[in-house]
Amino acid sequence: MTAAVAPAARAAAVPWYVTAALVASTSALVGVLWDISWHRSIGRDTFWTPAHLAIYLGGVLAGVSCGWLVLKTTFAGTPDERAAGVSFWGFRGPLGAWVCIWGAIAMIASAPFDNWWHNAYGLDVKVLSPPHTILALGFTGIQLGALLLVLSLQNRDPTNAGRRTYGVLLAYGAAILLQNVAIMGIEQVGFANLGHNGLYYKVAAGAFPVLLMAVARAARLPWPATTAAAFYMALSLVAIWILQLFPATPKLAPVFNPVTHMVAPPFPLLLVAPAAALDLLMRRVGPGRDWQLSVAAGLAFLAVFLGVQWFFTEFLLSSHARNFFFGVDQWDYSSRLGPWRYQFWRIQGDPVTPQGLAIAAGLAAASARIGLWWGNWMARVQR
Amino acid sequence: MVGELDGASAAVTRGVARVLALAVTVLVTSAHVGSPDTYFEGAAGPYPVRVIIRNPGVVPGLAQITVRLLAPRNVGRVLVVPVYWDPRTAAPPPADVAERVPGDSTLYSAALWLMRGGSYSVQVSIEGASGTGTALVPVMAVATRRLELEKPLGVGLLGLSAFLFIGALTIVRGAVRESVLAPGQEPDQRRTVRAWMATAASAAVLALALIGGRAWWNAVDAAYASGLFQPLHGTATVGEAPGGGRVLRFTIDDTSWTNRQRQWTPLIPDHGHLMHLFLVRKESLDGFAHLHPLPRDSTTFEATVPPLPPGSYRLYADIVHESGFAQTLVATLQIASPASTWHPSDGDDGWLANGPQRSALDHEQAAQLADGSTLTWERGDAPIVVDVEAPLRFVVTAPDGKPALLEPYMGMPAHAMIARDDGAVFVHLHPAGTISLAAQQAFVLRQPGDTARGELGKRLAAMDMGSGRPGAALPGDVSFPYAFPQPGRYRLWVQVKRHGRILTGGFDADVRLTR
Repeated sequence: MTAAVAPAARAAAVPWYVTAALVASTSALVGVLWDISWHRSIGRDTFWTPAHLAIYLGGVLAGVSCGWLVLKTTFAGTPDERAAGVSFWGFRGPLGAWVCIWGAIAMIASAPFDNWWHNAYGLDVKVLSPPHTILALGFTGIQLGALLLVLSLQNRDPTNAGRRTYGVLLAYGAAILLQNVAIMGIEQVGFANLGHNGLYYKVAAGAFPVLLMAVARAARLPWPATTAAAFYMALSLVAIWILQLFPATPKLAPVFNPVTHMVAPPFPLLLVAPAAALDLLMRRVGPGRDWQLSVAAGLAFLAVFLGVQWFFTEFLLSSHARNFFFGVDQWDYSSRLGPWRYQFWRIQGDPVTPQGLAIAAGLAAASARIGLWWGNWMARVQR
Repeated sequence: MVGELDGASAAVTRGVARVLALAVTVLVTSAHVGSPDTYFEGAAGPYPVRVIIRNPGVVPGLAQITVRLLAPRNVGRVLVVPVYWDPRTAAPPPADVAERVPGDSTLYSAALWLMRGGSYSVQVSIEGASGTGTALVPVMAVATRRLELEKPLGVGLLGLSAFLFIGALTIVRGAVRESVLAPGQEPDQRRTVRAWMATAASAAVLALALIGGRAWWNAVDAAYASGLFQPLHGTATVGEAPGGGRVLRFTIDDTSWTNRQRQWTPLIPDHGHLMHLFLVRKESLDGFAHLHPLPRDSTTFEATVPPLPPGSYRLYADIVHESGFAQTLVATLQIASPASTWHPSDGDDGWLANGPQRSALDHEQAAQLADGSTLTWERGDAPIVVDVEAPLRFVVTAPDGKPALLEPYMGMPAHAMIARDDGAVFVHLHPAGTISLAAQQAFVLRQPGDTARGELGKRLAAMDMGSGRPGAALPGDVSFPYAFPQPGRYRLWVQVKRHGRILTGGFDADVRLTR
């Protein structure tokens, strides 16, 4: 495709490999959410559970489609197509394709390592383990690669006619990355019961602004961070509403909590609120003052996030939230149910203090600054 | 989970498929020493069965269970399900159907998922023409093994890591050097230099990440190694008894036991005794005693010492917790000189000072028992091989050469103790196998209301499990289901009871790794 002569109508066309990479990203995310629910509801698994297949389908789809794209570009591509790629050991292809391929290989490498890990240290003792980290790096690579593929299209779009399509796709890609972060941090920011302890705000402040600021800077949408946060929440809600429809029986002893349906993931964080604040701030401050913007964004994120989550987690622990819509109060089959499920955890050992909030604000500002650097680069990616 | 009762806290978690034949660097076990697998022979209702459960070595892990039908019966399905000891557990998960092993019409196999450290009973149910029968087989889920990374896998992972490392650096270089340029535009020298700098910086970051990953792995490994099951610590001493003779004092001095907030459930009697204590003379193995120390308090147990030859002894103390968790405590003991007198502190105590008399025929060893009767090991001609069922069949003949009848000895026709010469293996067997009968009984009697510690123990103690039916005559041929776990030189002691006397016979066995 010659960019200079592309008519406006075709500008928003989404090439097949971008679709494939986004579907692969989604598949990996769906697989991870499904797998976590599987472990909490049924317990017993093999490599061949549908959840695992969805994760690895993501890897295979991204790896094969981007691998094919690279081979096609290198050996049968037009001069324009080759010129729109970066070189890698003599091959040429878009940067996003290389990141997808790297992610797919990392996912494949993690499988035998994970198998050995289970044999050596037990079956999925912890969500965060070295082989799971490699797997997570792999599917994050695919999701990042998909984002980069869309970015190169957006940034090369001469008429800017496709900015809405690409912007929405970018926000969606960023939402998948937000989901990844939320899943990785499930033990710190996942459950509403954690919403009144210090670590909750430090982790959220360190982890989310980087992504929200990056997408806010790179995507050409009126409300990019808000859109990404809305997609993030929508993905969680769809998972909550679908999973709890399906019957499930625990298949591992000891069963302390005889669940009858797939356990839903925790209700998502209300990231739309701080994201909207960041979008507003970005409009007001504008480019060129990124250091000041980072500090303001860090403070704004923490203030809004604290204000919203502090009270919303109280609501989630109340009886009003124990219904299909919010999907709360769903616990693993191996949990011994007790009053703890309606209480805030660790508030004595790790309360929210001014000192802790100051640290969280510092983390949020640093996270926002890194996000802006990253976003500035992403706004310029052309290949 | 921290704070779990009976083994779970010590055992932490982990799993291994034994079939992978992975390298093992540490081997300890719970009940028994160096012999992690469970052997059971008994009745599942109308169906006599032999059950073998291969310990996964890690928790959570997959244990392999095989069920052999010992009598021809019309059987439909064989079902297995592990039930955790905790009375707060909800209904057990659905049972698994054991698959028939191809080529063997009486052997069934399944995988058991043991997800939490501690005591389980495996319910083996047989459905068939004679109805449904169930046997309970107690199993301890504890982490016992630490695996090395096999070389081919290690090399493969290293190769993939190197590929990913170099690939990541190449991507970083491309990202900085070319990705922000318009298609077709060539990078200038400044951008090229910047790309190399970014690559170098990324290499440093990635190297640090790898070092961090390695440290993480090491930390997980160290935590796992420290969580490997260790039995409670005990110390043994020998002193003078008030009325002459010697008294052995064994103290459980492990802080996890002496601590008032201890997580362990109380002890329950097994065959009528809270503790079965065995002494085996080191190296020569020519001194052996099976004693039943009396509890002085919850940590101290005492027994008078038989006139064993002086020397250094290994001490093994079998105890069973109310949860059904059985463990063997290990200690050493120095006996200076033989006691001049011995008044057994318990009527079930027995000992043997002589080494076994090797028969000229290797396939048949005979031991002369103290009452003049003979205990013969009918071991056959085949060599004894690791992990292959050992021919542990013994026959007692009276002094007149006729088949002898036996009295129940602590509820059993016979007891067998097996020790390897270096002490790495010690196991206490019955014709029912390696299981603790008290643990099995605890699971049979367990009720949902048994959340208060000691309730179940009281009911168990009220049942007179130890003495058996007085006067009952049992046939003089006994067998023990077992397979030796490791190669080496072993000594076996078989104990029976006749005319009120405990009789002990000793035997030797060489166990090979392969045929």
